[in-house]
Amino acid sequence: MKVPILKQGNILIATIQSALTDQDLISLKDNLSHQVIQHRSHGVVIDITELDVMDSFSTRTLRNIASILKLRGADTVIVGMQPDVAFAMVQLGLTLPNVKTARDLEEGLTLLK
Amino acid sequence: MEKDTESEPTSSYAYNLMKEMKLDEEEILHRKAWLEFEEPDVNRLLELNDMAQGYATEVIESLYDHFLKFDDTKKFFEDPQVLNRVKNLQKKYFLRLTNGNYDDQYIQERIKIGSVHASIGLDVKWYLGAYGFYLRAVGKRIFKAFKSNPEKALESYFSLEKLVYMDIGLAIDTYIYQREATIKIQQEAIRELSTPVLQLREELLILPIIGAIDSQRARQLTEQLLHAIRDKRAKVVVIDITGVPTVDSRVANHLVQTVDASRLMGATLIITGLSAEVAQTLVTIGVDLAKINTVGDLQGGIEEAERILGYHVTKSLEDDSK
Repeated sequence: MKVPILKQGNILIATIQSALTDQDLISLKDNLSHQVIQHRSHGVVIDITELDVMDSFSTRTLRNIASILKLRGADTVIVGMQPDVAFAMVQLGLTLPNVKTARDLEEGLTLLK
Repeated sequence: MEKDTESEPTSSYAYNLMKEMKLDEEEILHRKAWLEFEEPDVNRLLELNDMAQGYATEVIESLYDHFLKFDDTKKFFEDPQVLNRVKNLQKKYFLRLTNGNYDDQYIQERIKIGSVHASIGLDVKWYLGAYGFYLRAVGKRIFKAFKSNPEKALESYFSLEKLVYMDIGLAIDTYIYQREATIKIQQEAIRELSTPVLQLREELLILPIIGAIDSQRARQLTEQLLHAIRDKRAKVVVIDITGVPTVDSRVANHLVQTVDASRLMGATLIITGLSAEVAQTLVTIGVDLAKINTVGDLQGGIEEAERILGYHVTKSLEDDSK
């Protein structure tokens, strides 16, 4: 399922609405890195509230998205991670050290202002 | 063996218990096979029934005389009415042993008896002793009756013994099952009580940890905390570990993991109350606590949390007493 990317001022919002295939994640990465330049955005919020499983590939891709967007001049905030997902990730040693996080979309937007 | 029926559970209770203990048809057949309890045994027991009718009262009377000799068992039969009723039930069971049909219903009755005995607090030792008493009393009479055919006597006795062993097994399993169930409930209660997550202000939670932490508790703690962060929309959590006597590398790692997981959810964690010993241990074992936000005591932790949340707490200078 494709991830819709919305523009809100100079911030982009990507809301993941269901489990994603690896291909979906890669196209999310491509779309975001294009649109950041296209819309001259300085921040991106990725909302993963609906995700109840995150594997190592999706973690790595999210981390890569954050690094790529940084190089393209935008900050990334990941919002709405579920407790079980967070717990499973740290147990696997996947802690997304250089990615900003926030509780929900609202807080994510505040963080980027 | 029947002792007291006042607290006797209903038969549907015994049925449910049987299901919970996974005593299905297969398991019962399995138990019978293990005891080598077979069709000929059933027939031999049926043959004993007439004889048993003859000496049942006598055996029961002597069994209860025996019970009344010991204070621990005597206390169950203080009331003569109870004693009388229990004797009658006991006699019914005694005759039931040689009545064939050792089916589901029979198993259920045994479980019911086991659970009654567990709930009135009769120890297993008395129970086993009483069965021993039974076997001796009946064995004597069987050998007397089959004097001319000792082989037959021995076979009949063995058949009875197998059945008795099955009954003992069922009753003791019921004892154990019920005690384990109680332990499990209590363990859960303790576990839940041991990790309260308290809301101090909007978006601020405190988690005071008291007592030793093992891996299981640490895991539970983390899970509970993460869910509380989501449910109460917490932004800052202060974990106070003043009450934790020792911290080893595993517990320290759990703390680090909890900090990481909370951050992934968008919350900040502050750890307070690391004692001098704990701090030294952590440095000695080389746990990387650079990522952890630590403050000396709980007060400092709460002040730091308030600062992050933007609260300004000031003492009121107004004189309320006029």
